[in-house]
Amino acid sequence: MAPPAEVLAVRGLSKTFPGVRALDDVDLTLHAGEVHALIGENGAGKSTLIKLLTGVYRPDAGEVVFQGRTVSFGTPLEAQKAGISTIYQEVNLIPLLSVARNLFLGREPRNRFGVLDMARMNREAEETLGTYGVRVDVRRPLRTLGVGAQQMVALARAVATDARIVIMDEPTSSLEPREVETLFAVIRRLRDAGIAVVYVSHRLDELYAVCSTVTVLRDGRRVHHGRLADLDRLSLVSTMLGRELGEVRAEGLTKFTGDHGAADAEPVLAATELTVPHKLHGVSLTVRPGEVVGLGGLLGSGRTETAKAVAGALPLRSGTVTVAGVPLRTGSTPAALRAGVSLLPEDRKSEGIVPGLSVRENIALAVLPRLSRFGLVSESRVDSIVDTFIERLRIKASSPHQKVGELSGGNQQKVLLARWLAMNPKVLLLDEPTRGIDVGAKAEVQKLVDELAADGLGVLLISSDLEELIEGSDRVVVLKDGSVVGELAGDDVTEEKLMRTIAGDGPARDTVKEAVVDG
Amino acid sequence: MAEATLRTLPLDKARVLHWLQRYGVYAGVAALLVVNTVITPYFLTVENFRTQAVQVAPVIIVALGMALVIGTEGVDLSVGAVMALAASVTALYLGYGLLPALLAVALFAAGVGLAGGALVAFVGVQPIVATLALMVGGRGLALVLLPQLKDLRNPALASLGSGDLLGFPYLILIAAALALLLGFVMRRTTFGRQLLAIGDSRPAAQLAGLPVRRVLITVYVVSALLAAVAGVLATARLQASDPTSLGNLMELSAITAVVVGGTPLTGGRVNIAGTVAGAVLIQLLTATLIKHDLPPSWTQIAQAIVIVAAVYAARGRGKR
Amino acid sequence: MQRTTHRRLSARPVVVSLAAAVALTATSCAKSEDDAATDTSSSASADAEQKVAEPKPGSKTCTIDTFGGKKVDLKNATVGFSQSEKEANPFRIAETQSIKDEAEKRGVKLLTANAQSQFSKQISDVQDLLAKGADLLVIAPLNSDGWEPVFKAAAAKKVPIVTIDRKINATPCKDYVSFIASDFVEQGRRAADQMIEATGGKGEVAILLGSAGNNVTTERTKGFKDQIAKEAPGLKVVFEQTGDFAREKGQQVTEQLIQSKPGIKGIYAENDEMGLGAVAALKGAGKKPGDVEIITVDGTRNAVQGIVDGWISGVVESNPRFGPLAFQTLDGFTKGEEVTQDIVIEDGAYDPDNAKNDIGKAY
Repeated sequence: MAPPAEVLAVRGLSKTFPGVRALDDVDLTLHAGEVHALIGENGAGKSTLIKLLTGVYRPDAGEVVFQGRTVSFGTPLEAQKAGISTIYQEVNLIPLLSVARNLFLGREPRNRFGVLDMARMNREAEETLGTYGVRVDVRRPLRTLGVGAQQMVALARAVATDARIVIMDEPTSSLEPREVETLFAVIRRLRDAGIAVVYVSHRLDELYAVCSTVTVLRDGRRVHHGRLADLDRLSLVSTMLGRELGEVRAEGLTKFTGDHGAADAEPVLAATELTVPHKLHGVSLTVRPGEVVGLGGLLGSGRTETAKAVAGALPLRSGTVTVAGVPLRTGSTPAALRAGVSLLPEDRKSEGIVPGLSVRENIALAVLPRLSRFGLVSESRVDSIVDTFIERLRIKASSPHQKVGELSGGNQQKVLLARWLAMNPKVLLLDEPTRGIDVGAKAEVQKLVDELAADGLGVLLISSDLEELIEGSDRVVVLKDGSVVGELAGDDVTEEKLMRTIAGDGPARDTVKEAVVDG
Repeated sequence: MAEATLRTLPLDKARVLHWLQRYGVYAGVAALLVVNTVITPYFLTVENFRTQAVQVAPVIIVALGMALVIGTEGVDLSVGAVMALAASVTALYLGYGLLPALLAVALFAAGVGLAGGALVAFVGVQPIVATLALMVGGRGLALVLLPQLKDLRNPALASLGSGDLLGFPYLILIAAALALLLGFVMRRTTFGRQLLAIGDSRPAAQLAGLPVRRVLITVYVVSALLAAVAGVLATARLQASDPTSLGNLMELSAITAVVVGGTPLTGGRVNIAGTVAGAVLIQLLTATLIKHDLPPSWTQIAQAIVIVAAVYAARGRGKR
Repeated sequence: MQRTTHRRLSARPVVVSLAAAVALTATSCAKSEDDAATDTSSSASADAEQKVAEPKPGSKTCTIDTFGGKKVDLKNATVGFSQSEKEANPFRIAETQSIKDEAEKRGVKLLTANAQSQFSKQISDVQDLLAKGADLLVIAPLNSDGWEPVFKAAAAKKVPIVTIDRKINATPCKDYVSFIASDFVEQGRRAADQMIEATGGKGEVAILLGSAGNNVTTERTKGFKDQIAKEAPGLKVVFEQTGDFAREKGQQVTEQLIQSKPGIKGIYAENDEMGLGAVAALKGAGKKPGDVEIITVDGTRNAVQGIVDGWISGVVESNPRFGPLAFQTLDGFTKGEEVTQDIVIEDGAYDPDNAKNDIGKAY
């Protein structure tokens, strides 16, 4: 049997955005009937690559050869017409049109008078969708369907337009398990029909279930490619995160100084069975005073959601949170703040800083009511708090009245830390506190976290930087697909064990103790 | 980033834009004053200034409320309808005396503001849609309560509309007092600062534990109350309650004053002094064209030009 | 289109009843200034009823034979009346009242509807009236165009239509029978005559225009200016600004006017409300009655009272009492008599000589 034909060959693709090299000399080859996993952490370049392939962006360098021809698509529509279809996380169809109309949008069957042949359209739509396991009244508006069914319509539409390549960007993020099975069946059928599929997902189980080949991107570069079966989960995770197995860890790379906290103290934070539909499935964890608990896991594993749920920013279906033994009214940020829980959000720019306000106003924002009498702000008390924190955190601004939006990322992060520290919290939830800030500021923030813990604060630390997570945390709770899959403490907090746990073939929560005994 | 953008712009253009954003509206007012002094007969008279001030006072009062709403990245289209409602409620309850009538007006206005605020804050309806509904419903209610114009002869109301203190008409004094009060509120209270934070970045304000809903509702109630004050004052000046036409297109005048005054529609900033100046600018512009008997369509075109200029200047600000 | 109309119609009762509930609670304990004294409504004296002006011998007529209906006795007929705007101003109130009064007087069954200034509603209103069994229609149209669906429905049932105060662009004696209205140009001319008399034909005058793009505004302006040019070249129109037919706007514009042109001798307001606004402005500026001559059009009670008080010099009437003439036309038509296609009604006038006596005729 001859090897399947090469459908797509990407060579040396590069794309630079102001200040960022988003994609750097990346190659990618797709054959007919290949299901190719494209993986990488945030900012690795996956979406840039997809957008270059589908004509959203134009490459700075490199070429795309599609079915033997060098192509350069100007728009996603051109790409689609040529045979590259994309299915995004959010269904991008027209919710108010009927299912059949959506399916045939732009290529509606017409009768000999040039008028829409609705009967034929509906009949064909029913047949087509039947093969995807979707049995619905195709005359209903699309929005009346479940998300999964809508996803299937999008998929059917993508394939029906004579696609040679179907790109799926996290197609399962809003699907029920049963719908995922249907999707996989469809993907296998596409494969058998000789269509190449690019599958983007963070869920390792899914990758191993449907993909045959893999490309791993990191920091805009291709760091691995080949057969997926040749790469076990642990290697996959370590490649993705950029940590070689067995790499000797240089001590003192981070500014964390190590362990703190009394193991026997009462937890200052206890979250029990936190459940948020589609996101968290019964997450429990505790943080003791003076302890830094790391929250590990891949992108989309539920780390950010856990922090937000604890801070009252995400409504819970069930579960409880207690702070220093007192139950917290969940789903209310003000209640969480009053109880002493502060969250440094992951998305600093849109959820953290108030860019148009000054450094001073940003620092004082949350604590303002405490510095006021009868709604009147005491400027002198604001000044004294602001001055204290600007000095203590070494915030570099031309004056307290400079707009926060004009500061560097690191200083913005310090302003946010100051805002929360001014609240005098008992528990500090830090979601990616050092992402996107320069090395100097990073070290300062890490040192600060250490000091705060030493002062008796409970800290929950989320970081995609394994080094930071391991050196900074006394304990690491590992999440996967919205559930706790393991917990590492003491000498077990190592990169290898962490990656094993994340990959899902290492010591799970129950086996941690055995592992310790073995060691 | 911001600094880089600024630096790449031609220096003089950036500077002009920056200057326009900050002082354009005042320069416009000054220019109109100078031009009118030269070309308009009887312009430099106390009577003339009193007339312009009295006419602009209700617009200023409504625009102050509008500025707060726009500061939260919202808009309040119901202000004109609230003015009409205030007019008809005044007429309806004036038999009890002026003060009880004012109390009733305040209750009705607060009700409208509460409804708008609740729709925005709790139901999550877009401000433009929520207040559009109230604009239609509010005027409808005003007309149900008082189907046609009604002359009012209450002496206390009449003196509110045309009386003065040391030569300053009450209308002007009330508008000035309210402008100072709101300036103080925005500058010195937790409410003012929380309002700005919510307008600038609602997710950040929410995560910072700010009472987002309470602030939003308060803002819409304040806007409705200010519109009601303006409605009562306009009614007092006319000595007649005219719910059919009172406050027609007032929402547009108020939004114009706010925007021309340098408050961006994107929220997070409220310029009280600029808003007052914006209202004055439009008033002087209208007065100039009327006094010189130019066709009314010219007034609209001139207003449009001012708005475009203001938005152009604001666009520069948005980029930074 | 069809669907939206339906939805709007079905939503309306809810909104209306809600508003009514609020209104009821609000008014139940309300107390306006002169609750005891208000009863200005329907006591129109017989003198005020409309008369046909200039019954030109050569004007076109219409009979039931040419129209193609069947004769009915008006006494046993059902008349449908479609009002265009909410009865929120004296003109509309008097107009509707006059139709109602005349129907009662003649013992005719009357169905009424109000389009609340929405043209689509007026169309469906008229279709409703037809469906409810109206044999004859009186329509005060909101728009001049877009009436084809109504004509179709009416023609199918051979229902004669009389339109009042605004004309419909259609074929008389086919689509409708007669059109009854005032002559707005003539109103402007007569206002000019009054202005000339009040000012002695010399000096500078101002016009407070009605809303832009309205035929009433253009015609009242044209008549006034033409007549001034013809009769009193010494009178100069130096100021024309819109007051949008509203009192407050009339007040604001007049305030600007008397500041920049203190020598102004007269103000012609194209409706009473703007005229009353001008009065308020003059009072506020410390002027005395008679300093500036004000002439207005419409003939509302407030304006005529203004003449009595000395602030207004003259009011040209625009008679809203279409009831008698409309029913007279329908009566004659259904009996088989000839009726005129364009019936111009005669408007009265008020001046300081008759204002006191005739104030009862004002609406």
